[in-house]
Amino acid sequence: MKTNFKIIICCATLIMLLVCCKQEYIPPANEENANLLVVEGFLNSGQGPTTIRLSRSVGLTDTTQKKFERGAKVNVEGEDGSSFALAGNNNGEYSISQLPLLNNIKYRLHIKTINGKEYASDFVPIKITPPIDSITWQSESEGLRLYVNTHDPQNATKYYQWEFEETWEYHSAYYSTVKYIRDNTNRVTALVYKYPDHHVDTTIYKCWKTLSSTSIIIGSSENLTTDIIYLPFHFIEQGSEKLSVLYSINLKQYAASHEKYLFLQKMKKNTEQTGSLFDAQPSQLSGNIHCLTDPNEAVIGYVEITQEQTQRIFIFNSQLIYWRYDPGCAQFEIDNQLDSIAKYGADFTPTVPTEFDLTFPFGIRKFNVASDVKCVDCTIGRTNQKPPFWP
Amino acid sequence: MRYFYFILIFFFSFFYSIALQGQTRPLITGNFKELKLGQFIRELESTSGYHFYYDSLQIDSIQVNLTVKDQPLDKVMEKVLTKTGFNFSIDQYNNVFLIRDIMIKTELPPGFFGVKSTVDSIINPLTDLELARGSNAISASLENKLYEIGTKSNNMTGNSTLAGYIRDDKTNEPLPGVSVYLEDNPAISTTTDQYGYFSLSLSKGVHILNVQSIGRRDARRHIAIYSDGKMDIPLHEQIISLREVVLSSKKTNNVRSVQLGAEKLSIATIKKIPTVFGEADVLRAILVLPGVKTVGEASTGFNVRGGATDQNLILFNGATIYNPSHFFGFFSAFNPEVIKDVQLFKSSIPAKYGGRLSSVLDITSREGNKKKFAGSAGIGPVTSRLNIEGPLSKDSSSSFVLGGRATYANWLLNLLPKDYENSKASFYDVSLVTTHELNRKNNLYLTAYLSKDKFNLNNDTTYQYSNQNLSLQWKHIFNNKLNSLVTGGYDFYKYNINSDANKINAYDLEFNVSQLNAKSDFTYYFNARHTIQFGLNAIYYKLNPGSYRPVGPESKVKEDIIPPEQGLESAVYIGDSYKISPDLSMDYAFRYSFYQYLGPQTVSYYADGLPKSESSRTGTKEFEKGGIKNYSGPEYRFALRYAFTPDFSVKAGFNSLRQYIHMLSNTTAIAPTDIWKLSDPNIQPQQGNQVSLGLYKNFKSNTIETSVEVYYKEMKHYLDYKSGAVLVLNHNIETDVINTKGKAYGIELLLKKTAGKLNGWIAYTYSRTLLKMDDSLAGEVINNGEYYPSNYDKPHDINIVGNLKISHRFSVSSNIVYSTGRPMTLPVGRYYYAGSQRVLYSDRNADRIPYTFRIDLSMNIEGNHKVQQKTHNSWTIGVYNLTGRNNPYSVYFVSENGQIKGYQLSIFGSIIPYVNFNIKF
Repeated sequence: MKTNFKIIICCATLIMLLVCCKQEYIPPANEENANLLVVEGFLNSGQGPTTIRLSRSVGLTDTTQKKFERGAKVNVEGEDGSSFALAGNNNGEYSISQLPLLNNIKYRLHIKTINGKEYASDFVPIKITPPIDSITWQSESEGLRLYVNTHDPQNATKYYQWEFEETWEYHSAYYSTVKYIRDNTNRVTALVYKYPDHHVDTTIYKCWKTLSSTSIIIGSSENLTTDIIYLPFHFIEQGSEKLSVLYSINLKQYAASHEKYLFLQKMKKNTEQTGSLFDAQPSQLSGNIHCLTDPNEAVIGYVEITQEQTQRIFIFNSQLIYWRYDPGCAQFEIDNQLDSIAKYGADFTPTVPTEFDLTFPFGIRKFNVASDVKCVDCTIGRTNQKPPFWP
Repeated sequence: MRYFYFILIFFFSFFYSIALQGQTRPLITGNFKELKLGQFIRELESTSGYHFYYDSLQIDSIQVNLTVKDQPLDKVMEKVLTKTGFNFSIDQYNNVFLIRDIMIKTELPPGFFGVKSTVDSIINPLTDLELARGSNAISASLENKLYEIGTKSNNMTGNSTLAGYIRDDKTNEPLPGVSVYLEDNPAISTTTDQYGYFSLSLSKGVHILNVQSIGRRDARRHIAIYSDGKMDIPLHEQIISLREVVLSSKKTNNVRSVQLGAEKLSIATIKKIPTVFGEADVLRAILVLPGVKTVGEASTGFNVRGGATDQNLILFNGATIYNPSHFFGFFSAFNPEVIKDVQLFKSSIPAKYGGRLSSVLDITSREGNKKKFAGSAGIGPVTSRLNIEGPLSKDSSSSFVLGGRATYANWLLNLLPKDYENSKASFYDVSLVTTHELNRKNNLYLTAYLSKDKFNLNNDTTYQYSNQNLSLQWKHIFNNKLNSLVTGGYDFYKYNINSDANKINAYDLEFNVSQLNAKSDFTYYFNARHTIQFGLNAIYYKLNPGSYRPVGPESKVKEDIIPPEQGLESAVYIGDSYKISPDLSMDYAFRYSFYQYLGPQTVSYYADGLPKSESSRTGTKEFEKGGIKNYSGPEYRFALRYAFTPDFSVKAGFNSLRQYIHMLSNTTAIAPTDIWKLSDPNIQPQQGNQVSLGLYKNFKSNTIETSVEVYYKEMKHYLDYKSGAVLVLNHNIETDVINTKGKAYGIELLLKKTAGKLNGWIAYTYSRTLLKMDDSLAGEVINNGEYYPSNYDKPHDINIVGNLKISHRFSVSSNIVYSTGRPMTLPVGRYYYAGSQRVLYSDRNADRIPYTFRIDLSMNIEGNHKVQQKTHNSWTIGVYNLTGRNNPYSVYFVSENGQIKGYQLSIFGSIIPYVNFNIKF
């Protein structure tokens, strides 16, 4: 009962806020390294490529972010004996541009790793993913919540999984037309215009950032009379920079079997929904992939055949009644004299001139400095390359 | 002095017969129908010339129904006063004296010149035939008087039974747990039951009876017992005057009783144990006893000797309480002002109890003041309490006590972040207990209990749960040797959750369990050596395992109702407490429980030899009303005690129990959404066996008690869950549960000082609780089918409870707790999936969270102790978690923004001070 569980978490959170406190816990060093194969991805029976990502689990204290499983032989095998090979790359991604799958045949994923072990998923049928009806959003006092609407007229899908990519445009807090010249001791020697025509530096003013979903988003209509989904899938906190200019989200929808849904739900409970007073026991995950060479070896992953349905929406800041984005920036005026720059402005970033007097260098008598370089340069943590789909 | 009275009595008896002879007195004629004795007397006075002396209050209830013709007054009075306990005397001046129980001699022997007619100072203990028949008991309130019991006869050999009530002399409240024993032979002893009733078999002749109870003045009664008879003993409350009183307690109950692992806490003790927010908390108090553990500070569920939280039978005056907590476990659901004491049986569970595997927690309420209206109120940081009590009838045969408690925790919620600004939380509980003494042989006790919790989180989800209980107990005394207690009751528990935040998914989810129970327990005092207890129990269960309904017109929620399930659990038992010799005693009992899963119901069947799952289901069968599946089995309860010396004994015990109703929960603490499930064709009853051995030794006139108890316990068919089991709204729950075995063993050491300025106890427990799931049919085995520690396996546990009485108005209590951290499943690695780092778990419960250490302190300051003032008040000021240590509740790992973070969660991770004010009126 998902709803139920959520409520408990919610209540428990409430209680925790009341009286408890949490502090970081550093687990005792554990040399054990399970080194399990992790298989992620789906077999695409629709138009488009199929990509399977193979990686390995690592020790908790291991500093590796992702341990890719390279050099494996990955095939999609049909019960009719057909076989399609996926080509691997250096990031443990194995893909094929188009899988020619037949509707009435079951297929499985077969993996032979570089250490000679063989793995295979169960044979699975094709599941049809209905298209996304719409993505809607609602302003709440604490932020903006995004909802997915979908339905299956056949009432056959029932279990859904989503992933998304969100992209937003960001503008620096201040324009910048000037910059410091520094000598090799990092002392400011001059304030100069960036461009001869005194133009604003647009390369650091307008930026974009894209993030992928990091949590497991699943939903089901099993308790409903019809196969309808109206589910909040994402929340943006009030004041987030994501909605400061223009925001876009691309939602990907996949149908799932009941078993895969349970697999994902268990993973979510084990790794995301912990820390309440009434935590469920961490439980072992078992997907539909097995090690053929050593049946006792656990494999993490659940592979199914379906299609990807996507929808993208845009939300302009102007569509929102009130969005309190505060970049936390301040700027103040200083004189364009080297000693006052050294005293007040050397640690800050110059933005624009404010008073002009031709007796000063470049005719700038006073100019503004910003408290933080991030207030001027948006490329820190973002890119200034406009995405192709951006309006 | 005593001999002087004997001689006096002898003389009076002798001359009484002479004095009555040769008198001419008016004869009485008349038809007296339905007259009060007072009216009757007035009529006689007006017609016959007799003068009556009596206490009009005492005779108020006596009715006269009589037709006489030309009868002498003594014959008439004999008829009138039959079975009333009154005696009469007629002197030579036609004065008639009516007095209860004793007789006034109206004449002095000739030659007794020194004494004038101070008739009413001379009393004649009377051996009344009526007393022997047990219709009326002597109220023995005097210390140095000889009370004669029974009918005198020449045969003064053999034993007779003395029975009666021990009550508070002021409120008439019966006093349970009072020990009554012979001064010259303490082995002949008994304790009063929960209604203050005792029955003692002793040799005929003269004895000195000692009566002792905590908080009461010790009493002695001189008795001469001739045959079976009754005697009530009022006890004075011990109001200690401000001058030092040296108490010398002779309590040796722990050494002398046959039971092992039984603990009793009076409300006075409970109130001294410091708790969070200073609310005296019954359930939290038992957690400081050896062998009782909890998974964490915020959970009210408790584990007794390795048992699960659902294996405790929690009874409030015979009513089963399914969820004993408020506010998600922060408070127990019992109002401390209404409770008299709690008794926990963790090893020797009396045969009258059954149906749960680990323990019985018997919570007994107080009885109301039978003589005057009184009350008390208390104010604490989170709740307020009010209780009133008083007589229900003028003759102080009935009383009531009504207690209520409510919270104003909303201010706490206001401290929350804005997200929760519209949240509301409330709870309350009401307890009503009435007592009716119908007559000497019949008492009725009615208990009603209601508790309710309600939460509303930011206006969209309302969460509620409620206990409702009603129980009626009828105590009937057949005779001195046989009495019975018949209990009938209705217990109900439900929770429901509803949410309308998401219009399409707006729902209302409800679960409830109700039970109708009837129980009759008989106690037969066969002789000085054998006390036999036997009885019958029956419980009819009805569960609504879940209903899920749409709310509002837009809701697309599919109505899903799991059909109700019914079951009937019944049991018969018989047991004997056998005093083989003064040193050796034995309790042995046999209980046979019988359980029937009842229709109408649809039952699924599964293929043999395959894991129960949708695919192995072979079919379903519809059953009409009536039995579907029966389970039954014997349960044995055995305990033996050998006393080497009066203050040193060894006890051994064996117990077996069965449980037919199971709580389904895959959380470690009792969660508010846990549901219950009856045993059915696919889910077998749980079974448990326990052997235990204990050594008990008292020192310093029994003011220091020490004990060592060891136990070993096995459990079968304990339910665990498959990974990712869905427990709510599951139509085929059997496919998600697995049978596990459990074993638990441990040693409990207790050092207790019961008297003196400094009292309290130190308890150390070493215990292990291991579970094993090697059922290959379950589809998955945990930890390769090896034993693994259960969630509440905390091997080392030390509890120190101390109470220092600095003055009569000021005392300090402290509570020191140390315990090993509970087991946890530590991740062995991490992996990347769905855009985030995630933790990988392996063997269950292989590691432990850090240990718990806590010191609590409280001060009790009482107002002045003048007995006669209108109100008495007291303050409790205390600090919970004095050292402010962050005691871990759990350690968990969570994926946050793509990264793994480990956290240690503490519930009360800081110093929590509190103040409580109580007033008694």
